Amino acid sequence: MTAAIELDQALSVKVGNTPLIPLKVKWIEGVSMHAKLEWYNPFGSLKDRAAYWMIRAAERSERLKRNGVIIIEPTSGNTGIALAGISRLLGYRVQAVIPEKVSQETKTILMTLGAELLQTEGDLCPRVGRGTDQSIALAQAVVRGHPMKYYMPNQYENEANFLAHYEGTGLEIWRATRGGLTHLLAGVGTGGTITGAGGYLKDRNPRIRICAVQPQRNHHIQGLRNLEESSMPKVLERHAGLIDEWIKVSDQEAFDAAKELARDHDLLVGPSSGAVYAAAKMMTQRLRGARLVLVFGDDGRKFKSLYSEFRVFQPNEFQRLVSEADYLPASPMFSHLSPAA
Amino acid sequence: MPYVIGVGEIQAMTMEEQPTKTLDARGLVCPEPVFRTKVAVDSLKVGECLQVLADDPAAEQDIPSWARRTGQEILSFRRDGRILTFMIRRTK
Repeated sequence: MTAAIELDQALSVKVGNTPLIPLKVKWIEGVSMHAKLEWYNPFGSLKDRAAYWMIRAAERSERLKRNGVIIIEPTSGNTGIALAGISRLLGYRVQAVIPEKVSQETKTILMTLGAELLQTEGDLCPRVGRGTDQSIALAQAVVRGHPMKYYMPNQYENEANFLAHYEGTGLEIWRATRGGLTHLLAGVGTGGTITGAGGYLKDRNPRIRICAVQPQRNHHIQGLRNLEESSMPKVLERHAGLIDEWIKVSDQEAFDAAKELARDHDLLVGPSSGAVYAAAKMMTQRLRGARLVLVFGDDGRKFKSLYSEFRVFQPNEFQRLVSEADYLPASPMFSHLSPAA
Repeated sequence: MPYVIGVGEIQAMTMEEQPTKTLDARGLVCPEPVFRTKVAVDSLKVGECLQVLADDPAAEQDIPSWARRTGQEILSFRRDGRILTFMIRRTK
């Protein structure tokens, strides 16, 4: 038992407390921008927070005892990775239900961390929406068929997702900026980050503007959700009132932003971070004196094939960034990308 | 009295393909039956057959819909009470 407790303590210390770095932008005067680098979490994304909070909440409510219950979850990648990594340490089996179009690197990481994959296609169930809605429908069906055998944390509805960002991300941003931000920008997937972090910040200062970033229809931005084609997650719905602005970003804008972040800031980010940066660019055309905080959900190391396919970075440029970009902590998940020492 | 096999039954037995695999999807709900069907058909060689048993009413539409979209062949379909039985051949 002592080993398990030590593991929990080590995990709770390692999850969160991610760096907030300044981004010097040339395209407007008098605007300050900071990015919170969530890929510093142990399994590489902001989802470590939600995954850890949801598992701990389930253990406290005794829904999950360490006795063979399988954790199953619909996920576009990062939640599955986070659940797989954390569960592997705590001793649970994980089944990740993912859309087939998720990047191959993500699938490989999931399998390396010991997750079993169920891959859904666009319209297995014509009655629900595209993309991750298919995965949600299948995960729910599996649990309904075998209720004692499975536990679904259900990041789209689980309040622990919101709380992870309220008590974690939001609090960290408030402290790091000493309350001195005017805008928070984050991508919308489950809505946990924008509502949780946004909720904490608005509770401290109602004048902080909470800006949600959405992708286009039929997008390729792993982790985000377009609410015209996919349903509104309950986590988002419960707290949608605190969102002040909705900004939609096209795939092209997100990819161009990822390129700019590499070129001008030496950062290799994931496409959702590109989307958030693109949204910030759109906004600041009309704001002076703003102090923006952007949440960057994951880095770009999982996206070699996507970035090659969409001509964001060619493979050798990508490789160069993997070795030379700033703020990329070493990670066993990506050791296969680095040339052998 | 020994049971005598009728002509109709002989015809049914010789006309139906013997399945390479059977998937028992009874007790599963949409979309799990069609998902499991897809996974099972993908594991067959072209030309092989899968028999699927399901009792979710949605499967009656979901499975033929999926087969149409993916070009797989439904050889036969039977309903006995609530139990649906499909015979699907992998064509590609």
